[in-house]
Amino acid sequence: MADARSMTPAPAAAATAPAAGPSLLRGITLLTVAAVIVLPLVLPSTTLAAEILIFAMAALACNLLLGYTGLLSFGQGIFFGGGAYVASLLMIHLGAGLFTALVGAMVFGAAVAAVVGALAIRRTGIYFVMLTLAFSQMAYFVAYTLSDWTGGDNGLLDVPRPPVAIAGATLVDLSDPAVYYAFVAVLFVAVFVAARRIIHSPFGSTLVAIRENEGRAAALGYDTRQFKILAFSLSGAITGLAGALYAMLLNFAPLSNIELVMSEHILIMTIIGGTGSLFGSILGAAGIVLLGDLLSAVWPRWMMLLGIVLIGVVIFMRGGLWGGVESLYDTIRARRAHRRTAP
Amino acid sequence: MSDDVILETEGLQLAYGAFMAVDGVSLRIRRGTIHAVIGPNGAGKTSTFHCLTGERRPTGGRVLFEGREVTRKPANARVGLGMARSFQLTSLFQNLSVRENLRVAAQGRDGARALTFWRPAESRREHLAVADEILERLALTARADTAAGDLSHGQQRVLEVGMALAARPRLLLLDEPTSGMGVDDIPVMTRLIGELGREYTVMLIEHNMSIVMSISDTITVMHQGKVLVEGPPEVVRADARVRSAYLGEAA
Repeated sequence: MADARSMTPAPAAAATAPAAGPSLLRGITLLTVAAVIVLPLVLPSTTLAAEILIFAMAALACNLLLGYTGLLSFGQGIFFGGGAYVASLLMIHLGAGLFTALVGAMVFGAAVAAVVGALAIRRTGIYFVMLTLAFSQMAYFVAYTLSDWTGGDNGLLDVPRPPVAIAGATLVDLSDPAVYYAFVAVLFVAVFVAARRIIHSPFGSTLVAIRENEGRAAALGYDTRQFKILAFSLSGAITGLAGALYAMLLNFAPLSNIELVMSEHILIMTIIGGTGSLFGSILGAAGIVLLGDLLSAVWPRWMMLLGIVLIGVVIFMRGGLWGGVESLYDTIRARRAHRRTAP
Repeated sequence: MSDDVILETEGLQLAYGAFMAVDGVSLRIRRGTIHAVIGPNGAGKTSTFHCLTGERRPTGGRVLFEGREVTRKPANARVGLGMARSFQLTSLFQNLSVRENLRVAAQGRDGARALTFWRPAESRREHLAVADEILERLALTARADTAAGDLSHGQQRVLEVGMALAARPRLLLLDEPTSGMGVDDIPVMTRLIGELGREYTVMLIEHNMSIVMSISDTITVMHQGKVLVEGPPEVVRADARVRSAYLGEAA
């Protein structure tokens, strides 16, 4: 996992071709909306569906860094756990409402990510990765030490899930899991559309250029550090939001949110789903969350299987699950075309 | 300094420890000319070039671009001022299309303005227009949607120069533009540089003597980190010191 570049598969179509913009954008967004609607219908519980979307959000944010900028960050857990704590503390101690808590988590995620990013990108390659690892470990111990605030090992209990309210008037009560799912789903689609927009912006196309050849990008006039820091910030904001939503889902902010394992989890989802494809992040998150849910019930050592799945995907499916879907689609189309031409 | 000098160095020095790669080089590149820097291996051409592009910070002396001191400006900040460079070893965005390579290059000139992340990249029509214009000039329009890495080597070298053009510079810095090119492709590059010389000021480092002699207005010959001779091609060709230091080496 040392070299961020070698972890980035030959970029998928989505990453390379802003030229194929608008129609593709609409197609993938529709696919996402469809997925978001179908998920709770096919899954045994809406809570599970909400968990998938929350992790898909975190994986998508990770993808902005790994797939589009070529930065392998082990710091995602800091932003996820940090977002969960900040939202929870705002609600518990300051009686903050839903939106204040979520925005607080995003601002915190963006700010921390900007600092971590600014320091980590002073080095490249393996040293960059090591720096994000070091920050991740540090954040864990900070959370562990500040047990008066975070609950330490016990986690932060009794995290509320306030209703959607404007000026004190409750509009939607989110205590029903299905309603909460709908709320998470709306936010997820908004984040997804925003992320696509970012990728197809001048900024996003520059990130891809930096991933492809940083030296040339700098020679063309880009201050590549600014771009990487902004990428980190955006990624941190989205991850912080996901963390806050997760705490509200569980009514609890466990210490494991900010552990290194969380960063690993998010990275694995991103890679299994397919770097360089935002929809892939949904597939990756769904795959891992479901696998965990199904297997942990029958076998406590299910993480071993996860390792096998990861090895399989990395070796045999260079584009991740999304790459697999794409090549399947191409094969079917080619076969159909063949059948049509051959009498 | 007079207005017709676009780039000037005063006593430029670059030391690697005790070794002086560039030892007091003073260059004056006149606007609208093609100025070549040549010299045997290890003469300090590339080190000088790196000081001009901002890749290396000189250990002494100054670099002035259009009368402005740029000695300590980082490479990316020089693009906005009107300096653009190409690389000796082709350095493209291999997996991106030829057009996207040029579009990103055109966008780079605007520097931090590309940080806008809420608008589609295509919204900046002018960058696409610049890309298309350069595609045409390089005769690469037919390959616009090909990945840069799939171009032939000669075409990649041409695109390499095009990337610098996309910045709409006033000074083009070319680092061995014919490096690694086959005999068949070299005339294409020579013609291209000759053409560019009519619109831009071009400063190039080159190994290939016949190109340098045929297109340059001024040639600076470097030897052991210093300027040995400077002048128009016929003067340089006739100079005995150049013969012994550079041409003689080949014989």
